[in-house]
Amino acid sequence: MKILMATGGSAHSEQALKFGVHLLTAIDTERISTILTVIKYETDRLRAEEIIQHACTLVEPISEQIITKIRLGHPAEEILKETEEDNYSLVIIGEKQHHGLVTRFLLGSTAQRVVEHAPCPVVVAKGKIGPVKKILLCDSGIESPTLLGRFVQQMPRLIRGQEEITVLHVMSQMSAGPGVPGKQLRADAEELIFEHAPEGNLLKQDVQALARLSVNPIPKVRHGLVVDEIIAEAGDGDYDLVVIGAHRGEGWRRILLDDLAHQILAKLDRPVLVVR
Amino acid sequence: MTNPVDTDIVVSPKGPKGLASSSVSSLVLARWRTRLGKVVLFVTSLFLFILAIMLMKDGAKPLAPLIRDQFNINNAANSLGFGWLFAYIIMSGSPVAAAALTFFDAGVLDKLGTFAMIIGSRLGASFLVLFIGFIYVLRGRDRSTSLGMGLLSLLVTVSTYSVSLFIGAAILQTGLLDSVHLKTGVLLGSIIDAIFTPFVQILVLWLPNWALFPVGLIIIILSFNLFDRCLPQMSVKESQVGHMSRLVYRPWVMFLLGALITLISMSVSVSLSILVPLSARGFIRRENVIPYIMGANITTFIDTLLAAVLLATPAAFTIILTGMVSITLVSAIILLIFYRPYERLMLNLINWIIRRKRHLAIFMGIIFLIPLFLLIL
Repeated sequence: MKILMATGGSAHSEQALKFGVHLLTAIDTERISTILTVIKYETDRLRAEEIIQHACTLVEPISEQIITKIRLGHPAEEILKETEEDNYSLVIIGEKQHHGLVTRFLLGSTAQRVVEHAPCPVVVAKGKIGPVKKILLCDSGIESPTLLGRFVQQMPRLIRGQEEITVLHVMSQMSAGPGVPGKQLRADAEELIFEHAPEGNLLKQDVQALARLSVNPIPKVRHGLVVDEIIAEAGDGDYDLVVIGAHRGEGWRRILLDDLAHQILAKLDRPVLVVR
Repeated sequence: MTNPVDTDIVVSPKGPKGLASSSVSSLVLARWRTRLGKVVLFVTSLFLFILAIMLMKDGAKPLAPLIRDQFNINNAANSLGFGWLFAYIIMSGSPVAAAALTFFDAGVLDKLGTFAMIIGSRLGASFLVLFIGFIYVLRGRDRSTSLGMGLLSLLVTVSTYSVSLFIGAAILQTGLLDSVHLKTGVLLGSIIDAIFTPFVQILVLWLPNWALFPVGLIIIILSFNLFDRCLPQMSVKESQVGHMSRLVYRPWVMFLLGALITLISMSVSVSLSILVPLSARGFIRRENVIPYIMGANITTFIDTLLAAVLLATPAAFTIILTGMVSITLVSAIILLIFYRPYERLMLNLINWIIRRKRHLAIFMGIIFLIPLFLLIL
């Protein structure tokens, strides 16, 4: 498994490396880690080598092989170029909790830009960092294959059967008119599964898929705005990792559909794994 | 002994192919009949709309003493309250907006008063979906599903129009849009006069002049009902369009969709009712509704704009344009700058209102007391 860890030497980059170590400790496969740092000017090379050196000491215990790279340019662009040039299974990057207005509203942070354009799953390590024991998987069920299907395909060894996994679906629907029966708009996961509602079928499918991996997940439904409910659930359940799907990449969907992944990423205070 | 007659045996096409061709042609015929019916309905509704405007225009002047002296409608505040309550009574905003223009044309209301009455008509009209929801609640349906959409429509309309009232008033006072006119031209005016004046004159023979106004009002309501029947039946189930209930669109996408659908339907309540058949279960994502309502609230002015053109009063056109510009400005500012907080505020307010009957009663009291209070100012 080839992992790219981007670090700039800052506190949040250090958090990302530590989280990467927690995450990858669990994955029972050969790991080749590439530690990348990006500098603006050639004169920063010495500093970059120190950063790399320090990062290697953190990552060494969990990697069979470590490759180090220094690139010159803009951080987000260089990280993305690196992901395009080599076939990485995962990118791990840190994220500041707070950004300036220009970054927040216009430019987007480095992590957000990498999440948007990287061809592989991206872990954004932020906030509460620790061993991954509780995972929240947020499945909208709109795409095919489902988020769980893609997650299992892209990160096959992340689930070992010892984690507590909650599969969450957020129903932000309301009745479009007065005469619409609204029982399903208040139902919990069990009721939706029992009634064979589309959301219930999705959760049932996910539960069955995880059961085949010897995991007994907790299916859950929340009613409210998608982003708000995911943030609330992540906090209420004190999860160690939140798994979401990336914003759709192509055609009319990219233009017309709202980028919920971006909003969730901006507001969550814990690590996020964005699956393509 | 006669020879057997050589007869060609002709088999009429009774096989499956024959059946299919006759049913296909009857289906095509039925479709054309339906289309023709809709065209006739549309032309009839347009005819009645124009006739109604002509009648209300002639009937408005004799009502001036009633409006000014009996109802004391002489400033922007009581014009707002008057339009609001008037729309509650007739359960529609467009006829009240058209009435406001005829009052302006007759000199009963000034520009600001007309603008306020039109805004009031929109506030009152937004009650309709909520009213229908109440009927369902009285019939035992759940409060949140019956009232949710109506409450949301009302709250979004009240919050945006309240601000646009001040912006529009400022635009009118400063004359910013006064130079923007739509000249109807002598030819169109002549054609309309030639077609409709005889009908108006027939009614004048039978009715007092002031009665032309209420008759015109009834006819305009009828014209809108007929127009609603011309609209295509939306019964898309789980198609790409039906996925609207599951996907979260960008706010500007739903904003444009609401504006486009209301441009065709000319009614916010009709545009909202179209959302029901657009998904198999009649659900819509909360994230998609508010921008949709905002877009609908802009192009709902189209029929009033048409009325302004028919009245051939340039200032009337400016008033409607001011309304459209001010509500567009308010909606754009909300969507671009603080949409998420606004969205949460609206949805939290609805949750608070629906949570208890007492909260609902307080809310209903407010939306009836405010226009009454404005009326007495």
